Amino acid sequence: MLNLSLWVLLFPLLGFLILGLVGRMMSRAVILTVAWGACGLAFLFATMSFFSMLGTTPASARTVDQVVYTWVNSGSLHITFGQLFDPLSATMLMVVTGVGLLIHIYSAGYMEHDPGFWRFFSFLNFFIFAMVLLVTADNFLFLLVGWALVGLASFLLIGFWYQRQAAVAAAQKALVINVIGDFGLLLAIFLIFNSFGSLNYHDVFGMLGSATAGSATITAICLLLFVACAAKSAQLPLYMWLPDAMEGPTPVSALIHAATMVTAGVYLVARTSPLFEQAPIALNTVAAIGGATALFAATIALFQFDIKRVLAYSTISQLGYMFMSEGVHNYSGGIFHLTTHAYFKALLFLGAGAVIHALSDEQDIRQMGGLRSRLPITFWTFLIAALAISGIPPFAGFWSKDEILSSLLVQATNTGNLWFYILWGTGLLTAALTAFYMFRLLLGIFMGDYRGSEYIHEAPPVMTVPLIVLAVLSVVGGFVGSFGLIGLARWQPLANFLAPLFATVHAPEVSLGWEWTSTALSIGLAVLGILSAWVLYRKGFAYKENRNPLYQLVLHKYYVDEALSLFIVQPVLALGRAATRWLEGGVLDGGSRNLALLLHGTSALLRRLQTGYVRNYALAILLGAVLIIVYYAVRG
Amino acid sequence: MPLSAYLIMSAILFSIGVVGVLIRRSPLVIFMSIELMLNAVNLSFVAFSKFLDTADGQMFVFLVLTVAAAEVVVGLAIIVSIFRTRRTIDVDEMNALRG
Repeated sequence: MLNLSLWVLLFPLLGFLILGLVGRMMSRAVILTVAWGACGLAFLFATMSFFSMLGTTPASARTVDQVVYTWVNSGSLHITFGQLFDPLSATMLMVVTGVGLLIHIYSAGYMEHDPGFWRFFSFLNFFIFAMVLLVTADNFLFLLVGWALVGLASFLLIGFWYQRQAAVAAAQKALVINVIGDFGLLLAIFLIFNSFGSLNYHDVFGMLGSATAGSATITAICLLLFVACAAKSAQLPLYMWLPDAMEGPTPVSALIHAATMVTAGVYLVARTSPLFEQAPIALNTVAAIGGATALFAATIALFQFDIKRVLAYSTISQLGYMFMSEGVHNYSGGIFHLTTHAYFKALLFLGAGAVIHALSDEQDIRQMGGLRSRLPITFWTFLIAALAISGIPPFAGFWSKDEILSSLLVQATNTGNLWFYILWGTGLLTAALTAFYMFRLLLGIFMGDYRGSEYIHEAPPVMTVPLIVLAVLSVVGGFVGSFGLIGLARWQPLANFLAPLFATVHAPEVSLGWEWTSTALSIGLAVLGILSAWVLYRKGFAYKENRNPLYQLVLHKYYVDEALSLFIVQPVLALGRAATRWLEGGVLDGGSRNLALLLHGTSALLRRLQTGYVRNYALAILLGAVLIIVYYAVRG
Repeated sequence: MPLSAYLIMSAILFSIGVVGVLIRRSPLVIFMSIELMLNAVNLSFVAFSKFLDTADGQMFVFLVLTVAAAEVVVGLAIIVSIFRTRRTIDVDEMNALRG
């Protein structure tokens, strides 16, 4: 089997280095050649490896662990830099480099007038590199390296417009919350090394058995891993950074929300599924947090005015779906939703970017409306994405969301556990809310009369072509996944492709009857959501002041940011100020100042000896000489 | 004459020199006092040389004379240059190093 994953890793790194070092002196055409070339070659090599893997049988031969070099070989600690190329990382590579490439192309139009053109593309390449490193690492240590580099890349790109206070604050917030996750991952890695004596995936998973199942250590490891996932994939309670990440340029939002970054958490849970399978408590936590996040974020998205913010909360909500799926043993369903979500969410963000670009940086839905005829390409692609995310067949989102909801119901009926029924209900409710807020957004932007005053211009082809490609993918992307509805196992290519990885998973028995029930309900609720949005906003978006406390609560995002500021940020700042005054001003500065004063006083006394009179010195020399002579005379 | 007579003479001369260095304000007199101290030492060298019947002490005397001559040259040059800049050679006026 052809394994070119190392090349997939190297090209974006090369692009980053070239652009970072000499990009400043390059013309735009050269910058684009390097950036597009790096990402395009990465995509090309990923595709070649992917198809080569598809042609490889049996499925067991599809996993290749290529050790590039040994980094540490000390005592019992063996750390190698290796590249694991298997169906999961192949799928992730396709998504990361493919969607990443489309965003690279789109950015050329969106960032055209930005003075930091070269810097932007070097960061984009760096982001792709970090993400590729994350998904191809064959051990936990290099996973952590990729994990942290992805966090760094997001910091650089969110704070790309570093002259803006809000962007810098958002970048810092993202980094701080990500570091909380990195810390969880680090602790998990310590525990893994302590219990298994190795960090390689293959070795660790190989040591699992009935003896380790359900042990407290495994549960702790999984919970710590999930802390990392929650921070990276913006789950409760560590989701706050993602909405603020909107301060970055819109293509960055698309990259963070679709291809890279937030998918890392979903990937990690799937990658460490053998561990999670042994820790039912942790797995239930994953499902519960996923469900809570999905509903929580969807309610916030209902009443936001900033179009990017609506999309941000919708991403958080959709990520909740992926974790719900993984929480009920359906890992391939999570990865499936990850890929379809990458298509339509990238499309939504790039479409929103086209709208923002057309209206000269206007992001408030209250200033839009009636853009349907003026931005036709953007409108139609946006409509496809909205239908896809709402779960209307046959668009991509339907298949993956339906797969997740079905597996939730199947899990509920199999275990008879009330909580899984609640989780399934949460998923259905979220689906209805999703359809509602997406169509509120769509109708608000494109229907009714134009409420703003800016001059409107459709995006250049370099921006519309990626939109069209993504729209096609949002239509057909779902067909790789789920035909489980008609009970044909061989028509679930993605699940079968990923199956060897999840061999240890205790998948619940599938019942076609329940699946159809779930599907019918989810389609019905999605249509209901769309219809209510249509009734309310078909004539365009009209903003009315609403004093309802519940509405105010949701509009202000449950006052989470305010509460955080009050209970965490302000106390820490107060502590810092107190430390500045007392510790630094009093103890450190005061200490050195007092030392200086002491030396000054002593020298003021000693200085009197220096009279400047030659005869005094001569007398001192004489006395010294006499004393020495007396000393030797007395000592004998 | 016994050795002690030379040594006492040398000590007296040395003490006169020391007192001269310590109490006089004119650099020229201080120089002369230093010369007096050096020559007091020379006297004891010569006395010991005779008493011990070796030439070592006399060799040292030549060395001391040479060094003293060089020292006087440098010292006088310094005094001349000080006089040119400050129009006085009173050593008590030269207290720029006072702390």
